[in-house]
Amino acid sequence: MLPEALEKELHRIIAAVPRPREAAVDVMYALQHHYGYLCDEAMHYAARVLGMTTLELESLATFYDYLYRQPVGRYVIHVCDSVVCWMFHQDSIFDYLCRTLGVPPGGTSEDGLFTVLPAACIGNCHNAPTMLINGRFYDRLTPERIEAVLAELRQGIEEPVRCK
Amino acid sequence: MPDLIIDGRAISVPKGTMVIEAAERLGIMIPRFCWHKALGAAGACRMCAVKFVAGPVKGLEMSCMTLAADGMVVETFHPEAVAFRRSIIELLMVNHPHDCPVCDEGGHCLLQDETISGNHVQRRFPGRKRTYLDQDLGPFVQHEMNRCIHCYRCARFYQDYCGYRDFGPMQNANRVYFGRFEDGPLENPFAGNLADLCPTGTLTDKPARYTSRRWDCERAPSVCLHCSLGCNVTVLSRYRRVARIEARDNEAVNGSFICDRGRFSAGYEAIPERPRAGLADGRPVPVTEAVAAAVSRLAALAESHGPGSIAVVGGLRSSLETQAALVALAGAAGWRAPAFFGSRQEQAATKAALAALTPARARSLAELGQADAVLVLGVSPLYDAPMLALALRQASRAGAKIIVADPRPVALPLPFSHLPVAPRQLPAVLAVATGQPDQAAAEAQKRLPFSPELWPVLEDAARALAAARRPALVFAPGLAASLPDDDRLGLFPVLPAAGSAGAALLAPDDAPGLDELAAGVAAGRIRGLLVAEADLFTAAPELAALLGSLDALVVLDHLPTPTVAAAKVFLPTATIFEAGGTLAASDGRLQTAAPVQPPGDPVVRDGRGSHPPRAYDRELPGTDPAPAAFWLGEISQGLGQKAPRSPLAAVMAGLPALAGIDCSRLPDAGLRPAFAGPRPDTAPPAPLVAEAGLAVVYDEALFATDDPGRYAPLALAQTAASPVILLHADDAASLGLADAMAVAVGCGDRFVPAVVRLSRAMARGVLVVPRLPEFAGLPPILGPCGLRRR
Repeated sequence: MLPEALEKELHRIIAAVPRPREAAVDVMYALQHHYGYLCDEAMHYAARVLGMTTLELESLATFYDYLYRQPVGRYVIHVCDSVVCWMFHQDSIFDYLCRTLGVPPGGTSEDGLFTVLPAACIGNCHNAPTMLINGRFYDRLTPERIEAVLAELRQGIEEPVRCK
Repeated sequence: MPDLIIDGRAISVPKGTMVIEAAERLGIMIPRFCWHKALGAAGACRMCAVKFVAGPVKGLEMSCMTLAADGMVVETFHPEAVAFRRSIIELLMVNHPHDCPVCDEGGHCLLQDETISGNHVQRRFPGRKRTYLDQDLGPFVQHEMNRCIHCYRCARFYQDYCGYRDFGPMQNANRVYFGRFEDGPLENPFAGNLADLCPTGTLTDKPARYTSRRWDCERAPSVCLHCSLGCNVTVLSRYRRVARIEARDNEAVNGSFICDRGRFSAGYEAIPERPRAGLADGRPVPVTEAVAAAVSRLAALAESHGPGSIAVVGGLRSSLETQAALVALAGAAGWRAPAFFGSRQEQAATKAALAALTPARARSLAELGQADAVLVLGVSPLYDAPMLALALRQASRAGAKIIVADPRPVALPLPFSHLPVAPRQLPAVLAVATGQPDQAAAEAQKRLPFSPELWPVLEDAARALAAARRPALVFAPGLAASLPDDDRLGLFPVLPAAGSAGAALLAPDDAPGLDELAAGVAAGRIRGLLVAEADLFTAAPELAALLGSLDALVVLDHLPTPTVAAAKVFLPTATIFEAGGTLAASDGRLQTAAPVQPPGDPVVRDGRGSHPPRAYDRELPGTDPAPAAFWLGEISQGLGQKAPRSPLAAVMAGLPALAGIDCSRLPDAGLRPAFAGPRPDTAPPAPLVAEAGLAVVYDEALFATDDPGRYAPLALAQTAASPVILLHADDAASLGLADAMAVAVGCGDRFVPAVVRLSRAMARGVLVVPRLPEFAGLPPILGPCGLRRR
């Protein structure tokens, strides 16, 4: 059962567009926020309220980088893996993150806090090398800066969203 | 008409033609993957690049994405284009598993052809290949994603062309995956076409897997027998068994596709139960002896009781040759004309439906796909004639309004209005919908006073049909007498079986119905019956019940029907795969099926699963079956008749619509006779008054409700364990029945168990019953005691 407020919110999103399928990504995004990722239960619920098939939603969910069909950590680190960021790499930022957190690309750290994902340009080239964590940019990265960011995030006090 | 030059040859093509199509008209096959003539271009594969050296477009361009234009000079073998295509095929082959030796597509694989055409001969990429996990897509289509080259043909066919939404593309970039959300059977009843469409071995025909290489098969053009549309198919046979059926292009009928019923309902020709030997009084005899027995018994009966004591029954799954041979035999012997239909009324209605198809009004299936408003009456397209649903889908995609009036719940993969009316109200719906749109509201209220919910739908329908430029009417034969006399309105009848049109064309006007034969047998007037490729137990249960009282029962067939079991003399006939023949589609189109395999037990059974005996002087087992027309000719000769060399030509010469047509030389697209127009004397069938009970409406399923399909093991495996009957929820409430309740349906002197399902999308006062043999004896109106809880 979803919280009543979320159900209301979903119906509001759907009612705001001429055809329900136009709201598909927004509905899935809202459900992802609730569940932590798009579990099968979320996909079936979205299909029901949108009048679409689970296949159609899967086509969208697996196409977009910021919809997760597998469990992710509390912080999803989208590291820019594109030309400009490579040019400014002294060392590979991506490798450094994976090494520090002890995860393979796409993996989640043992404490469940961090997932590292490559992203093909996040549109922040003037601040390269860069990464995006839960909607926030981190610019001109160096290994020291990354350590500082990770330490800061580990101090976070919010209860992480957990998936069933 | 743009004029252009391709490879030094000039061609003029209609406006809107793509360069790849223009080249094809010159016989130049530009390499391609994503482009398909039914699906159009996607620009996904980049394989069809050609060089434009002069004209409005310059440089290297995709020929499937470029409209042919005046002054274009195209070089398909320009070094730049050749180099580009070589790189593309190398790229597409990077992840391909190169598993051709174990791939079913091998030998008829577009990817193999284009790899050669691109001259890609050496793998240079040293990296790892991308791999996928496959899905179980049900009994018909095999999934092998590693072979995929991402041309999107499957997804475009499945979702855009057919309108089903459970299969499609997922992921992105190099990881694109075509499949379902989870394992499970494909919902699309046209999914078998994926095997034809897929240019690689990603999606292949699952039942045919590992049975044969295409080049090892005997192949022949044939016509589908599993509904009345006459779709064109290619039959592939291996070791005297049909290995696979593929769609065969016919732009006027089925385009490039067929339905899964047509593709997966073969197999009845190879079942072990198939009767392959002559029988006399229950014991196997040489076929010559069986012919002699048939002749002597029929002659003796004619001698002792007169020619009126013999009746002939023809089937609705026979070729025109068989049907004509029956007509000729009965005519020459002075017997009454063969009965093909349940009643004279049914025969007259079918004849009238065909007669109405004047050249101005007849529409082909392809033309229905271009109509801009279609009214479908008494037909449930997806099940009565599946490819009709696909044609309507194409019309609907182009903006046509589709209205379906049928008592059954109707499912279609397109937006449509459904008028759930009882069969007796269909003429009223037809009259209102094709009448003046400004009077539609008043007429609807007058003619359908108890269905106010239908009035606005009917008004809409009348407006849409009046405003349309190419409106069409799809109708069941019972409505032939009510057709409006309006040349603007195209006509397309849907008949109950593949041989219905042939029987209606060839049967003399005075041919009796099966009901009359039953009365004749009961009264003792008829003492001998000759039945060719018909099962009386499904076609005429009252007649079947009286078979024991006959002096002579001669049966010709290739299916193990109960009528064959009751036969006193039996002659085994050849199936369409062995005999071929001419067939008439529901729009009267005459088409030829070629024989594909010799008769005889399939090799797999002859050798009991291993190699057949290596005795070369041995006769092949099971080779007695011959075309029914041949046996009928033998009987005719035995009776001392001077039979014409071709009974079909002789019978056709006597029919105004068919005279002068040579069935041995029909054009590739088939030939639609020019019918003269409806006869004025056709009376509409008397409407059933259903006050006393529920009107029985038969419903087809996708599989195994048609006559040969009922004996096909694969089709039979797709049917539900327990028959399901449908009832309107309000009718069920008044009868005290609930959804999913076990019931018994009164059928003559016995009760047939079934499960009742309730629906609100169907007509009131109607009981929808699957077309299964056990329900064959139901009365047209089921009385109050006919349906009870079990």
